[in-house]
Amino acid sequence: MIEIEIDGKKIKAEQGEMLISVTDREGISVPRFCYHKKLSVAASCRMCLVDVEGAPKPQTACSTPAADGMKIHTNNEKAKASQKAVMEFLLINHPLDCPICDQGGECELQDVAMSYGSDVSSFNEGKRIINDKGIGPLIHTDMTRCIHCTRCVRFGQEVAGIMEMGGTGRGDALKIEPFLEEGITSELSGNMIDVCPVGALTSKPFRYELRSWQMNAVKNIARHDLLGSNIYSQTYKGKVKRVVAGDNDDVNETWISDRDRFSYEGINSSNRLLSPRIKVEGQWQDASWDVALDFAIRGLRGNVLKNNQPNQLGALASSNATLEEYFLLQKIMRELGSENIDFRLSEVNTKDQLNLNSNIKIAEIEKADLVLIVGSNPRLEQPMINHRIRKASNNKAKVFSINSKSFDFNYQINQNLISPSKVPNMLASILREAKVKSSNLSSLTDAQNTDETLEIANAIKNSTNPLIVIGEHYKNTKNWSSIVSLINLLAKDTDAGILNISGTGNYFGAILAEFLPGEGGLDANTMIDKQLPAYMLFDVYPSYDSHNAENFVNSLKSEKSFVISFNSFQDDLVEQYSNVILPIASFYETSGSHVNCENKIQSFAAAVKSPGESKPGWKVLKVFADLLELQGFHYTDSTQVTNEVGFQSAKSNKADKEIKIPKSNSLEVIWQSSPYIIDPVLRNAEALQNTNIGKMNIAFMNSKTAKKLKLNDKSVYLNIPVSITDDVSDSCVIIQTNQSTMKRSA
Amino acid sequence: MISTAAKKEIDQWIKKYPEDWKSSAVMQALKIVQKENNNFLTEELINDVASYLDMPPIAVAEVATFYENFNHKPVGKHVIRFCHTISCMLNGADDLIKYTEKKIGAKVGEVSKDGLVSIKKVECLGACRHAPMFQIDDKYYEDLTKEKIDLILEDLK
Ligand code: SF4
Ligand code: FES
Ligand code: FES
Repeated sequence: MIEIEIDGKKIKAEQGEMLISVTDREGISVPRFCYHKKLSVAASCRMCLVDVEGAPKPQTACSTPAADGMKIHTNNEKAKASQKAVMEFLLINHPLDCPICDQGGECELQDVAMSYGSDVSSFNEGKRIINDKGIGPLIHTDMTRCIHCTRCVRFGQEVAGIMEMGGTGRGDALKIEPFLEEGITSELSGNMIDVCPVGALTSKPFRYELRSWQMNAVKNIARHDLLGSNIYSQTYKGKVKRVVAGDNDDVNETWISDRDRFSYEGINSSNRLLSPRIKVEGQWQDASWDVALDFAIRGLRGNVLKNNQPNQLGALASSNATLEEYFLLQKIMRELGSENIDFRLSEVNTKDQLNLNSNIKIAEIEKADLVLIVGSNPRLEQPMINHRIRKASNNKAKVFSINSKSFDFNYQINQNLISPSKVPNMLASILREAKVKSSNLSSLTDAQNTDETLEIANAIKNSTNPLIVIGEHYKNTKNWSSIVSLINLLAKDTDAGILNISGTGNYFGAILAEFLPGEGGLDANTMIDKQLPAYMLFDVYPSYDSHNAENFVNSLKSEKSFVISFNSFQDDLVEQYSNVILPIASFYETSGSHVNCENKIQSFAAAVKSPGESKPGWKVLKVFADLLELQGFHYTDSTQVTNEVGFQSAKSNKADKEIKIPKSNSLEVIWQSSPYIIDPVLRNAEALQNTNIGKMNIAFMNSKTAKKLKLNDKSVYLNIPVSITDDVSDSCVIIQTNQSTMKRSA
Repeated sequence: MISTAAKKEIDQWIKKYPEDWKSSAVMQALKIVQKENNNFLTEELINDVASYLDMPPIAVAEVATFYENFNHKPVGKHVIRFCHTISCMLNGADDLIKYTEKKIGAKVGEVSKDGLVSIKKVECLGACRHAPMFQIDDKYYEDLTKEKIDLILEDLK
């Protein structure tokens, strides 16, 4: 600790800390454009000039390290004159058209010019104009307004991990632009809008909608991934108009993925369910809540309760409900006497219940010195977790992956390509070679070593802080439970951390609320196959949530099943099999909680009212319970529910399953949904659907597999266009698709 | 496409830098591929250099557009790089540029009809003491006057 003096005030600082971070901490305002607390120092805009006693010229606060005894003036004559001069230079080429600029009212340049600038300019020459190239559906550019602070460039290099923006030309011909035709493709690109201090980069979907001061900002939690990024939803007249990043160093720092930023468009779509609906004699009709609830309860009573067969009732939910909704629905079920509760609709095999709890905090990921990624393309699946892994890699961590296709990672990584059925062998061999403790691993003796497994095993042995990240790719392959058990063992025997990112949305919320079959309960697949007499389906859209929509719909639409659906969006398939559809609030419209992959519960309030007659799911469930005359549902507010979940948690892991190491190499098809179709809000978000990521729909296989399946580059496999590329392992087809699961059958 | 010969030459440069610093060879690589392509670069060549050196294409474009010795459209057999920065400007560069343009029958950024010369305005070439100046190919010509320019251009073949 050293002491410096700023504007006559004695202040403690760290030796070598930049002056601007000291002034920021102390609330002393120093103007800036290029400086950003999470980016490297460029010191190119010169706006942060301050007077340092003893220095002949003013110094940039963002790049001048504090030293003991330094005396700094941020607003004496010298500092003010320099700031004013720099401001004048910055405005030379900047159009003074704030009234028609989308950034007006939230523009750093506008604010700083008002506080530090002069009201006349000595520049009488013509200003330069830049022709915009167009960089994609998410970001609108007005590059004539760019002040070359290079924040967006540094964001690309340092955070997004792909440099897409750059400065071409020099002097007064310098232009910030992307080089590639397709413009900006990063899954984190929207953050450039947040870092751009001027109106050069603004949100395209939000263009010309509103001024920032017209909106309310409501703190919220993004619910699409396993992180729960902190966000602000900005609302106007009961609608969410824009989403921007919030700060939380334990979760998303100050960045959010494009998925979290632009999904809000979905809740404003015209596709929403606005009224309860009942099916009478095969005809759908709108109904009041009273009528619809009464209809639903009578259906339940008639089909299961009156015969005293509560265990003939099944409850299914997607991965997108809130913690409270999961909790209330499972509580209703259990009170009624049914254990048929499940949310794992996308899993082909739920028999082997997995136990894979993360034991590492998100903020600790970057401290790992070795990361082993198994079955995941985290950049697309969990973008902000990938960002943390990238930070680990930047801190010199060794990163390995075991995948069946190579992916476009944005950090140094050693990618191992391996057929899905060989993954257990590979993990077993790593485990045998790397273990430091001696578990009884008799089943591992026949695992074959390869150079790759030895390399990974050695790296694990030599690391002090290893981390294993397990993703979703192998979830529906035959050996998933062996893979999970092996990873559990590997982590235990090498003291490695585990990060489970094999789900989406509120996956961990469902687990915490025990939205899973209990003793004697049926799992999702069995429930569907059995054609139970009654179902309650919460936020289920089989065409995307179920691994086999066709089977799901055919089974549920049978005459003998009475189906109560709780949905936010209209859906043809839901109408085919439901008897009553209750409209519930969507994202941003309900209070609730999200549980992230480190089991952190983050609660949020509703930002807007849900449209039409729709109501928050937890309230509907509460009323439902009251109508069923169940005890213990006296909630007046969702936090009472949250607190009750807390008491329940703390589950111990069940025993590891038997490990099988298959010898044969059978063909496996791995379906990866586009990250922009995993919930109904995203599916209705137009701009995201128009991005490259949103449009992806390809079946990747190598030439050997293609030959075996008699396919070529122009063929279609399982209704998906084929691409033959040699970065896919043998015996594997990896399908990245934005299509529904309707026609998925191998 | 970078030719095999060019790749060989680039590899020589890569070798001069530490292993993970391939990108240090970017200036030389651009120079080599430009020479093979009638002395100008294309978007495709920039992309090729980027993938050869494992760099983001935009990072290569930054270098290629910063330095005046890279051309981005067809040029003449000889390239006049006329300095128009302060010292040269104060010593009459603007007039001389106009004079030269007329003389060769091509404006800044264009190639003369016979394909012999093209002319480009560039930033300070570090010869301010002998302003105004220009560079033709690898040679500096200083303390320029109209008469001197006549003689220099006459000698160009
Ligand atoms: S576009 Fe915005 S962030 Fe990028 S350099 Fe220009 S002003 Fe800075
Ligand atoms: S903020 Fe210090 S130079 Fe730009
Ligand atoms: S200004 Fe022309 S050489 Fe320096």
